[in-house]
Amino acid sequence: MSWRARSLLRRAVNAAIMLGIVATALFPILWGLSTSLKPTERILEYPPLLVPDQPTLAHYRMLWETGIGRPILNSAIVSAATVALCLVLGSLAGYALARFAFRGKQGVMLAIVAVMSIPLPSVLVPTFTFLVNLDLNDSLIGLVLLYTAYQLPITVWILYGYFRTVPEQIEQAAMIDGYGRLAVLRKIVLPLSGPGLVAAGLFVLTFAWNDFVVAVVMSSSESVRTLPVAIYHYLGFFGRDWGPLTAAAMVSIVPVIGVFVVFQRYFLSGMTGGSVKG
Amino acid sequence: MTGVRFSGVSKRFGAVAALDSLDLAIEAGEFVSLLGPSGSGKSTTLNLLAGLIDADAGEIRIGERVVNDLPPDQRDLAMVFQNYALYPHMTVFENVAFPLRARGRSAAEAEIEARVKRVAGMLGVTELLARYPRELSGGQQQRVALGRAMVREPKVFLLDEPLSNLDARLRIRMRRDIKALHEQIRSTIVYVTHDQAEAMTLSTRIAVFDKGRLQQFDAPEAIYNRPANVFVANFVGEREIALLAGRVERDGADARFHGAGYALLLTGAGARLAPAAGRAATIGVRAEAVAVSADGPGAPATVAMTELSGPDRIVYARIAGGPEIACRAEPRSTFASGQDVRLRFDPERLHAFDPGTTLSLIP
Repeated sequence: MSWRARSLLRRAVNAAIMLGIVATALFPILWGLSTSLKPTERILEYPPLLVPDQPTLAHYRMLWETGIGRPILNSAIVSAATVALCLVLGSLAGYALARFAFRGKQGVMLAIVAVMSIPLPSVLVPTFTFLVNLDLNDSLIGLVLLYTAYQLPITVWILYGYFRTVPEQIEQAAMIDGYGRLAVLRKIVLPLSGPGLVAAGLFVLTFAWNDFVVAVVMSSSESVRTLPVAIYHYLGFFGRDWGPLTAAAMVSIVPVIGVFVVFQRYFLSGMTGGSVKG
Repeated sequence: MTGVRFSGVSKRFGAVAALDSLDLAIEAGEFVSLLGPSGSGKSTTLNLLAGLIDADAGEIRIGERVVNDLPPDQRDLAMVFQNYALYPHMTVFENVAFPLRARGRSAAEAEIEARVKRVAGMLGVTELLARYPRELSGGQQQRVALGRAMVREPKVFLLDEPLSNLDARLRIRMRRDIKALHEQIRSTIVYVTHDQAEAMTLSTRIAVFDKGRLQQFDAPEAIYNRPANVFVANFVGEREIALLAGRVERDGADARFHGAGYALLLTGAGARLAPAAGRAATIGVRAEAVAVSADGPGAPATVAMTELSGPDRIVYARIAGGPEIACRAEPRSTFASGQDVRLRFDPERLHAFDPGTTLSLIP
């Protein structure tokens, strides 16, 4: 076989493998989308159709009428507040770790990594009693605080890594130009850390938006239900009513996909932490 | 205008003494170069003055104010960094205006604009104000960095090897511009460089550093003509100084030098080398202190190699029985390798050092 044919073959094999991975990952989602667009009586028909021949938005209309708006709003509030809180606190902490030498810094860094490896379910019960004591259970504020606590370590870690790639001399120049540390962080470091902020923000956002376990444990009233919990309740309420269930799932997926599509460029460069800056 | 004074300032990095008990007083309006190889303490000195690092001991004053405990933003300095440190997310205008917008000195927008434009005009970057730093050439970035430092009209300017990233020609042109700038604004300038030619051309005084210690602080002429020790003599000057170890004997108006396996008659050097007479000494000979000719009086030597350095021809000649030294000759002269020549030493340009302490023996 000539080298040309070999290289062609290798590319074909690569493409086939990647296509397989993509198909495996996307299939359940596409199947869900297809189901959500089918009339109820045709969802379970055999043989199944991937592309519905009579698409309908009936299930989405029904979601709206049964009040999906409130959980969407709750999820949006909780996610936005968590992202904002994580980025503000994470920037300050990450900057301190990136730029200051202080006693116990190694310990703090170690603790951050260690905390990240604690499985969430193992702390659910203690956090619940803790929240009850603070009278913050069954409230959006309680959820925001918990999500922030869970996601702050990874946020600090990502931002710490990114801040270290900002040339220190630029900061020194700004200090000599008359700016204190906080002003330098705000006017120089953060504007130059867009990719890092996006990467950290997306991490936090996907966690807060998708979280089911914490939300279902910490909240009981309908008024503080987040979207994943609401979807779960559709499952219970309608039995095996696949149409509204998949439609609700689609509704919850779309914003995250949208955000990723908008920010994917930054997300990638943020994850590589400036190692390929330029 | 404001002077700067270091009194007994020391700084260690781990086990390394980056700066050892520095005493240095810079007068208001002076242009002082801190000259030395890397790791000599010159950049440490500048960073201490800027407040980017803290001194372990001693006192630093800017004007009458002790600044040891002041953060950089309160020291009222301006600094140009080696890599310019322009803010990549701001336009040239915003970069230059940035110091004017700092808290506590924020001027009116109209005034900011007027001042930025004036500085840009002085530096010839007016057409670049809307561009971003990445869209500028190295020389243009350099000018913008200078402009950002000038716009505030600070009392003291710090320049950290500002020309070292430019190509050779541009460097010489910017050297001129910086000198003109100093003559125009008359601020105190502290200039860090490892390029002795830059220090010579720009400074009113030069502080030569080595291994964390100040070696000599004097006017360029004095540094060049009366180096305090072997290090200064060797570091300053176009090329390395030849150091000949041996003994000096006075012989009336002349002096005789006895090296290992050779002797030189240094005509007319009796008076100059008198302090070194009758003892072991290291004689320092720069290329410009030696005239080379095909015949006539002088010490016999053999040409090893020649090179043309533009205005001069440099001849490397091996003294009979002794070491090789560089000599300066007319560019039109022709010497072939292996040719026998005569060397004559200019007595006023000879230096003598103590072989132990390396200090100059000539006052």
